[in-house]
Amino acid sequence: MDFSSAKQFDLHRRMVRIRLFEEAAGRLAESNKLPGFLHLYVGEEAVASGVCGALNDDDHITSTHRGHGHLVAKGGDFNRMMAELMGKSTGYCKGKGGSMHISDTSLGMLGANGIVGAGSPIAVGAAFANKYRGKGQVAVAFFGDGSTNIGAFHEAANMACALHLPIVFACENNEYGEFTPRDKTMAITDVVDRAAGYGMPGVIVDGMDVIAVHEAAVEAVERARQGGGPSMIEAKTYRFYNHHGVQNLGLKYRSDEEVAIWKQRDPIFTFEDRMIENGVATRANFDDIWAELRADIETAIQFAEDSPYPTPDQIMVNVYTSMTGAN
Amino acid sequence: MSIVGIIVNPNAGKDIRRLVTPATHTSDGTKVGIVRRAIVAAFESGATKVLLMPDRHRLSEKAAEGIAGNIVLVDEPLSGTRFDTIAAARRFWKEQVGAVIALGGDGTSRDVAIGWPDAPLIAISTGTNNVYPSAIDGTSAGAAAAFVATGVVSMSDVGRRSKRVVVRVEDGDKSIDDLALVDLAFINSMFTGARAVRDPNTVKAVIAAVATPASTGLSSIAGRIHPVGRWDACGVFVRLGEGGRKVRVPLAPGSFITMEIAEVRPLELGEEITMTGKTILAFDGERDLPVSADGVVTARVEASGPLLIDVEKTLVIAAQSQMFDEQARHVTNKDLYTSPEEN
Amino acid sequence: MSDDRKLTYAQAFNEAVSQMMEADPDVFCAGEDIGAFGGVFGTFAGLQAKFGEKRVVDTPISEQAIVGLGVGASVTGLRPIVDLMFMDFICVAFDQIVNQAAKLKYMFGGDATLPMTITTAGGGGLSAAAQHSQSLEALLCHIPGLKVVMPSNPYDMKGLMISCIKENNPTVMIKHKRLLGMSAPVPTEAYGIPLGKGNIIRPGKDVTIVAYARMANEAIIAAKELAEEGIDCEIIDPRTLQPLDTDLIVDSAKKTNRVVVAQEAVRFGGLGAEIASQIQELAFDYLDAPVSRIGAPFSPVPFSPALESHYIPDAKSIVKGVRDVMARR
Repeated sequence: MDFSSAKQFDLHRRMVRIRLFEEAAGRLAESNKLPGFLHLYVGEEAVASGVCGALNDDDHITSTHRGHGHLVAKGGDFNRMMAELMGKSTGYCKGKGGSMHISDTSLGMLGANGIVGAGSPIAVGAAFANKYRGKGQVAVAFFGDGSTNIGAFHEAANMACALHLPIVFACENNEYGEFTPRDKTMAITDVVDRAAGYGMPGVIVDGMDVIAVHEAAVEAVERARQGGGPSMIEAKTYRFYNHHGVQNLGLKYRSDEEVAIWKQRDPIFTFEDRMIENGVATRANFDDIWAELRADIETAIQFAEDSPYPTPDQIMVNVYTSMTGAN
Repeated sequence: MSIVGIIVNPNAGKDIRRLVTPATHTSDGTKVGIVRRAIVAAFESGATKVLLMPDRHRLSEKAAEGIAGNIVLVDEPLSGTRFDTIAAARRFWKEQVGAVIALGGDGTSRDVAIGWPDAPLIAISTGTNNVYPSAIDGTSAGAAAAFVATGVVSMSDVGRRSKRVVVRVEDGDKSIDDLALVDLAFINSMFTGARAVRDPNTVKAVIAAVATPASTGLSSIAGRIHPVGRWDACGVFVRLGEGGRKVRVPLAPGSFITMEIAEVRPLELGEEITMTGKTILAFDGERDLPVSADGVVTARVEASGPLLIDVEKTLVIAAQSQMFDEQARHVTNKDLYTSPEEN
Repeated sequence: MSDDRKLTYAQAFNEAVSQMMEADPDVFCAGEDIGAFGGVFGTFAGLQAKFGEKRVVDTPISEQAIVGLGVGASVTGLRPIVDLMFMDFICVAFDQIVNQAAKLKYMFGGDATLPMTITTAGGGGLSAAAQHSQSLEALLCHIPGLKVVMPSNPYDMKGLMISCIKENNPTVMIKHKRLLGMSAPVPTEAYGIPLGKGNIIRPGKDVTIVAYARMANEAIIAAKELAEEGIDCEIIDPRTLQPLDTDLIVDSAKKTNRVVVAQEAVRFGGLGAEIASQIQELAFDYLDAPVSRIGAPFSPVPFSPALESHYIPDAKSIVKGVRDVMARR
C-alpha cells in the first residue's frame, strides 16, 4: 500500500480543501449569502478523502445530501462549486442544482442527492456499466447510516451482490439521521452487520483516521476492480456542525461534551500531528498549504460573487437533451 | 455472593481483514446470543448475580432483556473504545466477581488483563485471530463460570495461570507500561491506520508468549518453526529479515504468505528483550502505539497473565459432584428463586 | 420478406429491441423474468438466448434498483432498457423515475445525458384487479424530463420503441396488455416513428376522437358504427403523450369543431383533461360543443369481469360520447 509522503500530502490536501470550502460556505450561509439548504461535511473529511484517494479519475461515485466533500475529494473545482452554492450561472449546475445536486460527471461524480438513499441504486447502475464495459472501473456509493433504513439502499445492496458488480458501499455513520440519534431508528449499531445479509463482506474503520479509511478503501476498490464483487466499509465519523447549516437550530439534540470529544479527534489535525511525528512534514509545510488553499477559497468566493445569475430564459434549458422544454 | 461478570467487546470481529481474507464477520446479534446464553446458564448453575459491562452498542442490555435474576449493568462512563473493557474488568475486580467471561478476540482478553491482571477468566472468541480465547458456547461458559464463582468447583482445580508479554516503553518524557497476552510485534509503519497488521513486509520482530502452529496471526510465525504452547514455561522471539528460513504463514485466517525469518530463539520467562528505533508496537495483532526513533522498548514473557478457567474440566467436576441433578439445581438456585425481593 | 409480413404487438416490441441491440452494443435490457423466461408477457422472448446474459439481465424484484440501474448505467454511457413488469409498479420506483431519471440532466445544469427506456405494461381487461391494471400515464406526463409513449398497434410499437431506444432522454414505453396479441403488417427493417408526432388514423369531417393505446382501437370500431349513422369521425392517435402533438389535435379540432377524448384511465385529472384544456385555449372559437372526455369512473380497477367490463371505456362509450357531442347545437 502506498504510504509515500506524496500520498500523505495528497490525502491531507483533499481533507483541507473540504474543510476550507465547507467553513467558507458556512460563513457565507450565516451572512445569508447562500440561498437554500446547506449540509456541511466538516468532521467527516477523512472518509471522502480516504476513499476518493483510492479511486481513479474514471471511477464513479454517488453522493448524499451532504455531498460537497465528495465532490471536493474527487477533484471538484472551488470556483464552480462556490458559484453553484450561490446559484450563479457559472456554477457546476448553472445555478439549477445548488448544494444538494452539485455534480461533475466528467470527474465521475454523479451528483449529490436530495433524496436520502437514492444514490445507491444509481451507483449500482454505474457499476453495472463499468462491468459491462470491462475496463476495470469501479463505482462507490457514499451513504449515511440513516439511508440504510430506506428500501432503495436494500434493493441496491442486494442487486449489486446478485449481479456481482464492481462497487463499494461506503457508509458514513455519523450517529445521527438528521436530528435523531441512530439508536432510536435502528435496532443495530453497526451498519456492516447488514452486509453479510446481502452476501458481501463489511468492515468497520475509524472514520476520523484518513489512513484507516484509505487502507480499507484501497482493498475494497481493488477487490471490486479485480472482479471480487461488492463490499461495504462503515466509517465511524461525526459531523462537527449541524445536520443543516452551521449553528444549532431550535432544540439541542447533541451535548456539547459529545461534540467536544469528537472534535478532539479532528481528522485533519491528528493526521498533521502524525505526519510531523513521522518526519514527513513540518508545521511550516502545513501553514503553507492552508494559506494556499485559503487563497483559492477567497478566489472562489470572489469568482462566485462576480458571476452573473442565470437569466430567466434558462428555466426551460436542459429539461431535455436537444430539446428546450415540453409542449 | 456468587457473581459472574460478563464482558462483550462490541467492536471485535469487524475489522478490515474481512475485506482481504476469508475472516468472518461477527455480528452484534451473534454476540448478544452468546451473552444471553451465558447469563441464563450462570443463573441455572447457581450464580446469584451477573454483572455486565455496559457498551455503546447496548449488547449486554439486549442480552439481558427479560431474564429474571439479579443482573446489574455496572455503572461506568462509556468511551466506545477498548477503555470500556479495561474499566469494566477493573470494576469486576472491585466487586469481587468470582469468574469473568469475556467475548472478543485476543485484544479483548488483553484489555481484561490490563484492568484485572489476575482475573479468573473464560475467554470466548468472537474476534479475528483467536489464539488466546477459545470457541466456547455461552451455555457452557456461563455454567462453568457459575460453578467457579459459587465455589462448587475450585479454581485450584480448574484455573491455570496464563502467560503475558510485559512491555515497557521509554520514549522521551513518556513512560508507558502495557502488555500483550499472545504477541508483541514491532511494525515498520508510520500509522496505526486500520489497526490489524496485514502487510508482512512491515513486520520487524515478534515476541510471543504463545506460538502454536494451530494459530493464525503474528504468533503463527514462530508457531510454524518454534512452537510454544499456552502452558509451556517459555516464550519465543522472532526477527524477520533475510538470511533464514522462509515459512508459509497464515497472517490472517485463510490467507497465507511467505515470511523470511532472520532469527528465532526461545525466551526464558522473565528474559528481557530490548529494542530501539522508530516503530509501531502491535499488541496481540493490532497496531497501537507509535514509538519514536529515540524510544526504548523492553519486553519479557511472564507467567503472570489471567487465570484461565478450563471450562470442560469444570463441567466434568460439576457432573461428578452431581451438580446437574434436579436437587442440586434447587440448592444452587435458592438465592435466585426464593428471595425475589432481592431483585 | 414481403412488406405485408404480420407481427403481433408483442413481437413488434421484441423485434425493435432485438434490432437495436444488434445495431448498438451499448443497448442492454434488465428486468424481472426477462431473461430465460422472456418476460411475463413474452415481450423479451428469445433475447437472452440471442444476446447472452450480459446484455439481457434478470434482476431481483427491486423496482427502485431496476430503474436506478438504468439511471446509473445511462448517465455513465450505456443505453439501457429497464423493464417494470406492470405499470402499477412504477409507484414502487417513483423516486428513481421522478426525482432521479427525469431531473438529473436539469439539476446538473445539463451535465448528464440519460438515454434510457423504461418499458412497462399498462391497462386493464385481464381481471388483474386494482394493482395490475392501471393506466397511470398522466402521472408520468406531469413530470418534466420524461417522455411517454403508448402505442396502439404493432406498426407504431416497433417504430416508437426504436425511437425510444435511440432517444437521448428517459422515455417510458407503455405496452397495453390487451394489445399484445394484436397482429398487423410490420416492416422488417428498423424504422423509427418520431416521438411527439401523432397520427391521423382515420380522417373525418364531423368530429375528432382523440384516443391512444387500446382506446384508439375502440375508436376505430366506434367510428365504423357512427359512419353508418352518417357521422364522419376523424381519429387522432397522439402515440406519444409527452411531448404531446398538440398542433395535430388542435388543427383537427379547428376542422371538425367537435372533440371527444377517450382514455382508459380514470377521467379525473387524466390526460384527456389536459388535451381538452389545450383545445379550449387554442381553438375555443372553433368549438361547437364542449370537449367531451371518456374515461373510467373514479374508482380503482375492479376485479370481477362483471365489474371490469363496465369499468373500462369501450367503443360503445365512445359512440355515446360522440352522439352527445353531435347533439349539441
